[in-house]
Amino acid sequence: MTPMPETIFEMNNVSFRFPDDQSPTLSSISFAIERGERVAISGSSGSGKSTLLYLLNRLYPANCDGIVEGEIHLFSKPADSYAPGEINHRVATVFQDPDSQFCMPTVEEELAFTLENLNTPASEMAERIRHVLDITGLSHLRHVSIQTLSGGMKQRVATSCALVMNPEVLLLDEPISHLDPYTGKEFVLWLDQLQRTFNLTVIAVEHRLDYWGTFFEREIKITSDGRISEDATFEPHEILRYPFRLHSILDETALSATGLSVKMKGNTLLQPVSFHAQKGECIVIAGPNGSGKSTLVKAICGIYKKQAVKFASDPCGYVPQSPEFLFLTSTVLDELAFGGMSSKLELDDLMESLRLTEIKEQNPFSVSHGQKRRVAIGAMLADKRNILFLDEPTSGQDEKALLKLFRLIDSRLDQGDTVFIVTHDMEFAAAVADSIVLLKDGRMTGKFLADRVWQDPELLAAHNLLPPKGVTRRAESFA
Amino acid sequence: MRNLLHDMNPSIKFITVTIVMLGLAFFFNPWTPLLFFFSILVLQLVFSRINWKIWSLFMLPFVIGAFGYLWTTIVFGAETGGTVIWSLFGFDVTDEQLALALSLSFRVLAFSSLSLLFALTTDPVKFVMSLMQQLKLSPKLAYGVLVGYQFLPVLKDEFFQIQQAHRLRGAAVEKFWWQRVLGVRRVIIPMLAGAVRKAERSAFAMEARGFTGEMRKEFFRPVSIKAKDYALSAAILVIFISTSFLGSILSN
Amino acid sequence: MLKSWKLKEIVLMSLFGVVFGIVYLLFIHLGNIWAGLIGPIAYEWMFGIWFIVSIICMHIIRKPGAALIPETMAAIIEVMLGNAVGPRLILSGIVQGLGAEAAFTVTRYRHFNIFVFMLAGIGAAVFSFIYGYFVSGYAALDPGFVALMFTLRVLSGAIIAGIGGKYIGDALLATGSLRGYAIARTQPRDANA
Repeated sequence: MTPMPETIFEMNNVSFRFPDDQSPTLSSISFAIERGERVAISGSSGSGKSTLLYLLNRLYPANCDGIVEGEIHLFSKPADSYAPGEINHRVATVFQDPDSQFCMPTVEEELAFTLENLNTPASEMAERIRHVLDITGLSHLRHVSIQTLSGGMKQRVATSCALVMNPEVLLLDEPISHLDPYTGKEFVLWLDQLQRTFNLTVIAVEHRLDYWGTFFEREIKITSDGRISEDATFEPHEILRYPFRLHSILDETALSATGLSVKMKGNTLLQPVSFHAQKGECIVIAGPNGSGKSTLVKAICGIYKKQAVKFASDPCGYVPQSPEFLFLTSTVLDELAFGGMSSKLELDDLMESLRLTEIKEQNPFSVSHGQKRRVAIGAMLADKRNILFLDEPTSGQDEKALLKLFRLIDSRLDQGDTVFIVTHDMEFAAAVADSIVLLKDGRMTGKFLADRVWQDPELLAAHNLLPPKGVTRRAESFA
Repeated sequence: MRNLLHDMNPSIKFITVTIVMLGLAFFFNPWTPLLFFFSILVLQLVFSRINWKIWSLFMLPFVIGAFGYLWTTIVFGAETGGTVIWSLFGFDVTDEQLALALSLSFRVLAFSSLSLLFALTTDPVKFVMSLMQQLKLSPKLAYGVLVGYQFLPVLKDEFFQIQQAHRLRGAAVEKFWWQRVLGVRRVIIPMLAGAVRKAERSAFAMEARGFTGEMRKEFFRPVSIKAKDYALSAAILVIFISTSFLGSILSN
Repeated sequence: MLKSWKLKEIVLMSLFGVVFGIVYLLFIHLGNIWAGLIGPIAYEWMFGIWFIVSIICMHIIRKPGAALIPETMAAIIEVMLGNAVGPRLILSGIVQGLGAEAAFTVTRYRHFNIFVFMLAGIGAAVFSFIYGYFVSGYAALDPGFVALMFTLRVLSGAIIAGIGGKYIGDALLATGSLRGYAIARTQPRDANA
C-alpha cells in the first residue's frame, strides 16, 4: 500500500540573515518535502546548509536573533506558531560533533533526559529506553559512560536519543564527518535499517556524499551564496578525483629510526619500530583508533619521551588536528616569526608560497580552518622544521578543502620537505602517499610502498581501512 | 546502616553541613571544633563506608593548612590579655593567644571533616538533580552545570595537548611562578575559543531534544526526602549543639 | 531572570568555569605547600583567578546576572568534582559573584570598560574578604596582618580578575569566536567609553 504523499515541510521564497551580517546566508529558498523522503542537502562549507536545517527544527531564528523572510510551514502550520521545544519531539536532530551532544554521564541517563524533556510519564520511561536500545542494537551500552565510547558509538547513541522521542523526521547535520570512513560506512548501513523500521523522513546535510552510496532519493544543492542550484533525484556521487602526482623523492635521508619505542608510567605504548624516510617523500601513517599513531608521531616530534637504538632526523614539525593549538601570538606574521629562525626575506618567501601574505596582519585564530593549517605549517617551516607531521588533516573537510590540502602537500614535497600524514582516508592517501606505515595495537605492521598496500585488501581490512575506490575502481553500493 | 550517609538526600545534607559550618564560626574556644571534629569522625565510622585512605589523602593538605593557621595566629595574633606561657625569639605567647590559635586551626580541621563527609558520600549528579528537585534550581542552570561536568575530562586533555604543542614551539620556558601565571594566558585563549564552540553545539543538541529550561514534571529517578534524612540532619545538628556547650564549659 | 538567557550562554558560562577550574587546580598545589609555610596569606595573591570568570562572562554577555551565575556554576562544578573544601565553596562562589555583580549593578550595566572591570574585581575581593573574615575568624589576627591580607586580595581582584579578565575577553574577541554575543555587537561603541 502506498500512502498518499503528504507534505510535511514547505519553504516559500525564504531568506535568512544573521543580525551581524550585511548579506543574507540563505536567499529565495523554496522547496517542499514529503513524508518518508530521504533528502540530502549538499553544498560546500559555509554555504548555509546547516542554517537551513536549523530553520526546520526551530533552533533558528530564536537562538541567533536571525532575520527570516518568506514562509516556512512545518506540518502545515507556520513555523513561528510553534512554542519553543514544541516541535522537537516530532523533528529530531543528530549533529556532527560526537563529543558535544550529551549532558549526562551514562547512555540510560541521557535517554531519560530526553524523555523528561517531553514530560513522558515516569512509569513509561524505563520501557521506552529498553525498547529504543533494543531496536538500535545498543542494549549492552545502557549503563556505560558516554565519554568512554568511540566517536562512531557516540553518534549511534545520539541517534538513539533522537529516536526515543518517536520522531516523524530525522535531521542529520553531517553525522559522519568526524568519523573515519570505515566507521562512517557502518553508520550509514545501520541508519538505513532504522529508516525502514521507523519509516522516518530523513533530511541530511552532508558534503561527503560519496560515503553514502545510494542512501538518498533526492538531493538539494545549495550554492555558496545560499541559493538552491539544483533539486533533483539523487545520483550516487563519484568519489573525489585528485590530480595525478609525480613522485618527488630525493636521494637524501631525512629521518632514520631503529628500535624506536615509547614507554609511559611502565606501560609500553609503542613496541620498537624501525624505518627510514627520504626528503621529498610522503608517508601516510594509518591504523585503527588506539593503534599508536599519535604516540609514534608525538614521540618523533619530541613531545613524548622516546627510547631508540638509533635515531637521527632533521628537525620535525607537528601540526595537530586543531592547528590553533599551536598559536601563540595575535597576527599571522608574528606567528611565523615567533621562533626567530628565519630572516625577513625568508619569511616573505614562505608566506608567499603558502598564500599567507594577504592575511599576514590578521589574527591566526580568526582565519578559516584551511588557512589555520597553512599558518601552522608556515610556523613549522619558519623554524626550519622541514619534516612535517600532519595529524588527521582530512577530518571534516569538504571536497574543495581536500583538493587544496592535496595541492599544499604536493608543493611542499616538491620543495624537498618530507611529509608524514596521519589519516584514515585512503582515497586521500592513494593520491599523495609514496609509502604507508601501518600500525596496530601499538606495533608497526610495516612500512610498505603505497601501491603494494592498495592491492592487498586483506592487509587493509586488518587495519580497519577501506580500500581506496579510485584505485580498485570497484563499484560499491549500500542498498 | 552504613549506607545511611550515602543515601541521605543531598540537598538536606548540603543545607545541614552549611548551617553547621556557619555556626562553628561563632566559637573561638579550642574544644568545640576539636570535639566536633572527632564526633564527625565517629559519625562517618558508623554511618558510612568511605575509603579512609582517600580520606587521609584529602585531609593531609588541610592538616598542613591548619598548621599554617596555628603559627600565623600565634605570631600575627591580635593583642589579647592572659598570662605569658612561653617566650620564643622575642615573641611572648599568652595562654589566651594559644587557645585562640588552637581554636582556629581546629576549626580548619572541623570544616574539613564536614566537607569530606559531604564530598565522599555524595554522588555529584544526584546532588545536582536534588538541587533541581528539592531546592528548585533552574533546570537551565542544573543541566548547564552537568554539561560542564561532562566536559571536564575533554577540556583537561585539551589543556595538556595545547601545553605540549606550545612546548614544541619553545614557548614554555617558565622558571618563576609569575611567568607561569602569565604563560597560562596563551593556553587559555585557544581553550576558551574552543569552549565557545562546544557550548553552542551542546546547547543546540539539548534544545533539539526538546529541552526548554521549563521546570520538569516527570523524573526518571526522582530524588526524594524521607524521614531518615531529617533524622540524620537532626543528629548532625545535635552533635554541633552538644559540642558547642561542652566546648564552652571545658574552656572555662 | 533566567527567561531572557539563551541556553548556549548558560552552557558557555559553565564551560568557562571548568576551564578556570582546571587552571585554579594547577595553582592550588602551589598554594597548599606555601600555606603550611606562610599561613593563609599564601592564597591571597591568587584569589583573582577565582573572580576572573565573572568578569570575562560579563564582558562577553553583558546581561544582569552574567557575573553572579558563572561564579555560582563554577562553584557547584567544583563541589561535584569532590573538591575537599566542599559545600562551603558554593556559598563563597555566590558571595564572590555578588561582589562582582554589584559593580555592574552600580554602573547600571551600561559601562564595560577597564575601570568597571577592576571595580568588579575589587567588589568580589571585598565581599569574599568580609565572608572570610567571619568564617575563618580573621578577627583573631593582628589588624595589621589582616590589612595586609585584605590589600593583597583587593590587588589580586583588581589586577588578575579586572585587568586580566578584560585582557582575556578582548583577546577572545580578536579570535573571532564570539560572533553573536553582546561583546561583538557593542564593541565599536564601547571602545570610546
